[in-house]
Order: sequence, then C-alpha cells, then structure tokens
Amino acid sequence: MEKVRAEPPKRSIWSGRISIGLVNVPVKLYTMIRDNSISFRYLHKRDGAPLKYQKVCTADKEVVAWEDIVKGYEISKNEYVVFTKEELEAIKPESDERIRINKFINLISVDPLYFDKSYILAPNKSKDAYSLMLSAFRKMGMAGVGKFTMKNKEHPVVIHVYKGVLILTILRYANEIVYPMDLTELNDLPEPTKDELVLATKIVENLSGEFDITEYKDGFREKVENLIAKKLKGETVIPAKPQKEEVKGIMVALQETLNKLEQK
Amino acid sequence: MEKLTKVRFTNLDKILYPTSGIKKAQIIEYYIKIAPFMLKFLEDRPLVITRFPDGVDQKGFYEKDAPKGKPSWVETFRRYSETAKRNLDYIVCNNLDTLLWLANLAALELHIPLSKTGSYEKPDIILFDIDPEPPANINDAIEVAKLLKEILDNLAFESFPKTSGKKGLHIVVPIVPDYTYKETRELVHQIGKHLKKEHERVVSEFSRSQEPGTVYIDYGQNSVGKTMICPYSLRATQNASVSAPLGWDKLQKGLKPQNFNIFSVVTIKSNPWEDFWEHKQKMGEMINGKS
Repeated sequence: MEKVRAEPPKRSIWSGRISIGLVNVPVKLYTMIRDNSISFRYLHKRDGAPLKYQKVCTADKEVVAWEDIVKGYEISKNEYVVFTKEELEAIKPESDERIRINKFINLISVDPLYFDKSYILAPNKSKDAYSLMLSAFRKMGMAGVGKFTMKNKEHPVVIHVYKGVLILTILRYANEIVYPMDLTELNDLPEPTKDELVLATKIVENLSGEFDITEYKDGFREKVENLIAKKLKGETVIPAKPQKEEVKGIMVALQETLNKLEQK
Repeated sequence: MEKLTKVRFTNLDKILYPTSGIKKAQIIEYYIKIAPFMLKFLEDRPLVITRFPDGVDQKGFYEKDAPKGKPSWVETFRRYSETAKRNLDYIVCNNLDTLLWLANLAALELHIPLSKTGSYEKPDIILFDIDPEPPANINDAIEVAKLLKEILDNLAFESFPKTSGKKGLHIVVPIVPDYTYKETRELVHQIGKHLKKEHERVVSEFSRSQEPGTVYIDYGQNSVGKTMICPYSLRATQNASVSAPLGWDKLQKGLKPQNFNIFSVVTIKSNPWEDFWEHKQKMGEMINGKS
C-alpha cells in the first residue's frame, strides 16, 4: 500500500448508469486525479485585498455585463462568426446519464498516451449490480470501451479494474494526438554502431529497477509549504537565490583570497 | 556574493578552453586564487589585454582602450597611442575587483608594460625575452638562460626566470626607474651579442630571429609601449598554460612549460618571486662601463 495519496473527494460529481447491451448498472463518479500544484491568489499589494477579473471591452474600456456577452469564432484576424448562448445550447450533446460500453478489449492494447483523467466508479444504490459487474471484469481480465457525456462534452472512455474497484478513464480523441513522424527531424535518425548499442544497453541495465512513483516529489510545493509554515510563525523569510556549483566555488575562493589580501 | 565583490559575473558556464573543457567560472576561480601573488605585478601598469569571449579556438582580440561599459570604479590611465593616433584609456588593475572584472571579460592574457604610470618613460623592469625558433626548443632556451644568469650574476644583478607560457623564457631584472628604455634596451642588446659568442644558437639581431634552430634574445621588447605577459597570467593555449615564475633551481632540462597551467600553478605554496620588488637595482656603473 502506498502511503502517499491524495485527499479523497467528499461527494460525487456525476451519477448515471453503465449500459452494456441491455444491462444497466447505476453508478456515481468520484474525482480520482487531484491537481496538487500550489496556486496563489493575486492580491493588491497595498491592502492585501484579493483581485477579481472583469471583462473589459477593448474598444471603449467599459466593463461588460454578463448578459451583454456573446461568443465569437475567429475566422480571420478580427473577423468573427457570432453565436448566441441559445444557439450553442441547442447543439450541445445532451447527457443521457449513461456510460455506453460497446466493446471489450485488453487494457494493455490502449497506449498510455490516450489516457486523460481518471474517475472512480462507485455503486449508486444497488451494490449487488456493481459487485457483479466488477467480478465479471476481473474474471475476464478485460476493459470496456465506450463513450459518455459529462458537462456537455462527449468523451471516449475505458472502464477497467484498479485496486479492486472499477475506474473510468477518459480517453483522448485521435485528432488530439500528434503523430511523431510528422516532425521531419525524427525521420532520418542514424543507426547506432554495435559498440554504442552495447554501451547504451549496459547503462539501461545498470539503471533498471522497480517503478515507484513515490520516489518523485514536487520540490517547489514542499519549499512553498515550508515558507508558509515559517511565515505563519512570524519568521522573516530571506529569499535564497539559487546558486550554481560554479558560483559556490568562486565564493569560497573569493573569501579565502580576501582573507589573504587583508593579512598583507 | 555582492558583498565579496563588485563584479557581476556573467556566462559562467561558457567554455573558454574547449580542448580541456575549462569554463569561465574556472578562469575566474584561477584569478581569484592567484591574485595574492599576481596583483603586485599588475600594480600601476596600464594593461594591454587579450580577450577571448568565444574561447581560445576562436579569434581573440587585443584591447588597449578600456571597453565601453567599464564600471566607474575601474582605474584607467590616459595616454596618446602612436598606433591608434588618439588618446587611449588604459585599464590599470590595482585591486582584486578589477582583476575579476577582467576575468569576466574573458581577458585571459594580461600584458604589462615594463614601467609604471608614474614614470612611464622609465622602466623598472629589464626583460630578456628568450625566444627559441624551432627546431630549437625550451631546452635550448634553458641553456641560454643559464649562461645569461652567469653574466648577470657577474654584474651583481639579481634576476628572476619565468616561462612565457608558450615556447620561450623570460628573464626579468627589477631596477630603480632611473634609466631610459634606450639604456635598458642597449644593455640587453650588448649582453645578447656577448651570449652569441658563448652559445652557437644564440642570435642577437632581429633580422636573424626567424632562422630555424636559433635562440633570439629579443632586446626590442625593452621599449616604451611594449609589454610582456604578466607573471601568473593565463595564455590562450590549448592547455591553459600560465606564464609561471620559477626559482632558478627549477630551470632544468626537460622542463615542460605546459605543466605550468591553470590547475597546477594555483597549488604552489609560496611565490618563487616573493622578494622580487625588494631588489630594485641600479645599473649605473655598468652602463658607464660600457659607454
């Protein structure tokens, strides 16, 4: 069991049914991926009051009210096709509260680069139905692929087993992924020599080990947290400039020489 | 850092000696460490510097006039230059900060005139520039230097040898600044002529200095405006060699000038030229004797 983990969410963000053919299993979705990067609010330096964003007209510099805003699609510089909210609303995909699974595949056959965010699937009301589906997934060792709509956006998804529960992972569309060979510089890679390859393989062998994500930490976040703790205790914080190795060497030598010159 | 030096270092990662991969940070560190030995030789002398901002494999450039952007605390010495046909502000390095500012400019080579600003026409150094022309080499230069020492000893002159950092040797004699360059130049020329009789390879005239296998005693360097590489200055050679002051006992056949470099020279415990400036010698009698 990993000790490092994100805070569990308090409530689900979506509820509906997983549909496999004629079978329907009621489920809830919980957020699984937490963005833990440090975020700051902008404050007014003078009085510490938080700042807010306002939509300002670029022509007359007036603040524009929400009801006076329409959306425009820029077709060329400064030329827009205008949509009203109603027009866009009418063509948005309707959530039918269903996750439709239409195929079963081997999860390993999905390249990780298609994976977007993951959500935890939990039973909604009927635990039996959920448990039955989970057992079937486990027994078959398969993952289900399909689609669902959340927040007016349709996503391809894969449902798979992780740590004894069902997980829904949103997939990226094919047109969201760049094909590497379209970068011409990758088209003419030279073949390494045999010796080079032997050496490279050795390096890889020497460094191979077990994957453990907890080896990686967000150093910036930790430093900010330390600073916050100090600031809360009222300690003054002197910003330490990052120092390169070279500069350290120069500093030490400089101090020694200054001492020597002073003695003279 | 700000408290230790006024200099703002830039591009510390830049490699200035590509063959040895030496970065600018290491150049600066070298000049910091060698400063206690070196500053006395720079004191009050208007410098000619050779800068290699893109490393020693690229073309460097001589600079006499202080570059634009010179901080106000860097001392200069204004003098009319015959070659440039205008007044130049020469840099004078009288402190560690100036030395480090020069290092940061990638001024690898610092060349000093043989006289100080206060008596610019009167040298306080006599230079015997021993320059072997291949196939003559450092060993021939050492042989000649030893003969030269005998002559100087007989004249009761204390002399100090250093490598040029390239292929030759410099034998340096500190004097009181009471004589003209013409007089010191004439002395070196006369001693060169004398040495020529004692050693078959020695030539004393510029016209023959390019002949293969000769060792030239360059007296012309003893002129106003001419310079010599400062003791402990780096050279723009592949192996970051140094113009290294030596004790006479160290001047033996087989000496390898390239072994005195950015890494080895800073490890010396004491300065072999420690009492150099305590020997401000007079040459009056000898000049009179000659004339």
